[in-house]
Amino acid sequence: MINTVILSYITFVYFAAFMAYLFMMVMGKDGFGRVATGTTLLALAGHTVAIILRWVESHRLGIGHAPMSNLYESLIFFAWTIALLYLLIEWRTRNRSIGVFATPLAFLAMAYASYSPNINERIQPLVPALKSNWLIAHVITCFFGYAAFGIAFGLSLMYLIKRREPESGGNMFVRLIPRTPLLDELSYQLILIGFLLLTLGIITGSVWAHSAWGSYWSWDPKETWSLITWLVYAALLHSRLIRGWKGKRIAILSIIGFCCVLFTYFGVNYLAGLHSYAKA
Amino acid sequence: MDTMKTSKEPHALWRFFSSVRLTLALLILLAAASILGTVIPQREGMVEFARRLSPAMLEVFEALRLFDVYHSFWFRFLISALALNLVVCSLNRLSPTLRRLRSQPRPDRTKPFEETPPHRRFPVSRPVEEVTVRAEALLHGRTANRARKDTTNGSFLYGERGRFSVFGVYIVHLSVLLILLGSILGSLTGFEAFVNIPEGDGTDTVRLRGSGGELKLGFRVECKDFFVSFYDDGTPREYRSTLRFVANGEAEEAAVRVNHPFTYQGIRFYQASYGSIPGNEATLVLRRGKTLQEERTLRARIGESIRLPGGEGRFRVEEIRGDFMRMGMGPAARIVVQPGEGETIPFWIFLHPERVEARFSGSFQQFPKLNPSAYEPYTFFLKGIEKSHYTGLQVNKDPGVPFVWAGFFLIVFGLFITFFMSHRRIWLRIEREGDGAVVSVAGRATKNPVGLERELDHLAARLRDHLGTGERAS
Repeated sequence: MINTVILSYITFVYFAAFMAYLFMMVMGKDGFGRVATGTTLLALAGHTVAIILRWVESHRLGIGHAPMSNLYESLIFFAWTIALLYLLIEWRTRNRSIGVFATPLAFLAMAYASYSPNINERIQPLVPALKSNWLIAHVITCFFGYAAFGIAFGLSLMYLIKRREPESGGNMFVRLIPRTPLLDELSYQLILIGFLLLTLGIITGSVWAHSAWGSYWSWDPKETWSLITWLVYAALLHSRLIRGWKGKRIAILSIIGFCCVLFTYFGVNYLAGLHSYAKA
Repeated sequence: MDTMKTSKEPHALWRFFSSVRLTLALLILLAAASILGTVIPQREGMVEFARRLSPAMLEVFEALRLFDVYHSFWFRFLISALALNLVVCSLNRLSPTLRRLRSQPRPDRTKPFEETPPHRRFPVSRPVEEVTVRAEALLHGRTANRARKDTTNGSFLYGERGRFSVFGVYIVHLSVLLILLGSILGSLTGFEAFVNIPEGDGTDTVRLRGSGGELKLGFRVECKDFFVSFYDDGTPREYRSTLRFVANGEAEEAAVRVNHPFTYQGIRFYQASYGSIPGNEATLVLRRGKTLQEERTLRARIGESIRLPGGEGRFRVEEIRGDFMRMGMGPAARIVVQPGEGETIPFWIFLHPERVEARFSGSFQQFPKLNPSAYEPYTFFLKGIEKSHYTGLQVNKDPGVPFVWAGFFLIVFGLFITFFMSHRRIWLRIEREGDGAVVSVAGRATKNPVGLERELDHLAARLRDHLGTGERAS
């Protein structure tokens, strides 16, 4: 299928974008930065086209459904949300240094989807439980939430790197990272967006589960891990808003939070449960 | 003295439950407990795991309810503590919030202007009165609840918006309580049950999940029709049942399919699964003697008495099973032969005799009840059984659901207000200076300081454009 071929090439375009961001950071040349942004835009455009082609293809096969129904499709969509959200942030903040942490996330998700032998990239028909309008709402809210947490994770790493180096000195890489208060504020804003979307994702999943299986909450491992993630970020928000935590502690909590996100997404597949179709 | 002190200082227990440290501890503990529940096999899954534990460990696990973490006393205790913590914290903060909400805006405050950066303080060459009117018009577009105060030295303007956004966090906390309330209501007054109904059959009893007890519905539910369709690769595309509900002589029909349940008298029926069961008819082959000429194929319904081809007597199919002894040996039928005179002869015949032979070699000769030639000179063969479907229904009642839904709706609303709306207050000071005036812009916000700075800069720039700076005029 043409869409999977395009997507496997897009993987390398994301890698090229990552390299361009890296060159920009190491050599401090703005030209590389412009190339990096252009490459990411190109990757996102091709990525979007491939997703649409896959959607059309599924209709041609007579099993039409949004390409969000198995692990392959969800990884592709995850990478897409990261790239889109990152470009929006780059545009809003006019700072390219975040790209060196965001594009590898998109690249890794794409590479895992396209080149892991355990992942089935065929378009599969939907099992009856997945045939619901809630599918799209659930997947979109969850993955934009994950993407927001992912970029917040990148910003938290940047924060931890930046704070160890003196303000004026340090190498080019560290100098190009924005000032720590900006990193702190930006990652906090992204966590707010991520938390709202994760909440919406849990709610849409819950309402859907109620109509499919009769129970809005059944302590399935993926449900439980999404709740764990929610609790960790809720703790982060309370410690910041009420106890006034900032900077390093919040950065560490944000990294822990994203580890929970990753476990909710991948780790849970090693535990049995209702989300079994997301395994392969 | 002592009573005086206690009336002023809150009780130690109140202080304990009003601490945000407790909130953080409870959130982390609940997360940790939830992790435990996903790592240790729960409920039905526990048997295999429990076998590998030593008896002492098993006792510890049982006592701490580690095989059913989410329904254990201590997990519920943690949730209750969080709910109490939430209520106490909210009540504690309610009165300052209300005071803030009722406070009258004071346009002539000086404190907000203490750290005004130079670009938000600029002279204009117009008289104070004119500047004030124009500035007020500009403030009009972006704020509600405005106030103005004129003094001999100049004028003060005030405008604000989002005063009610401070309630966002109460909405969030209230909705968490609503969701918890809904779940408690559901577990106290609702039930989760299931029932399998063969096509064409009906029942008025369902089996409860968990306890396994029976529950009378108070009406009858019948499966009139079951339908399943498949994709080319053999996975099910859709399955649905046409159900018929009968209560007090009145009947109602409804279709349920996956993701589309049906509610009857407050009880919801979900299409959960399906399966096939042996029907009432078997296809048999009867061979008389050793020759092949005398072989006959016939279909027999359960209980139907059929004459043997040679006229020696009659036989009937007594029972049909989908899987003999549930050991993967396949369908089987029990035949009972009634000879012209003498005792009846019962025996089993199999669709796949080779499976039985592979498992229990020689049993056909050894046991008369498994011998297809038990009645000489006939040999019976089973060639097929009729299959019919049963529908697997999940049968639930949960009166707490509306509360949970309300909580879901409110939590999104509340989070949005809490995260993205702030109480923003803007002050403008217009001081008289000769014939002209000096304008200062200041503000306060409960959230998003960066956004406030941007708005104040923007406002200052607009004012300059509107009024023309003092420098330009002179």
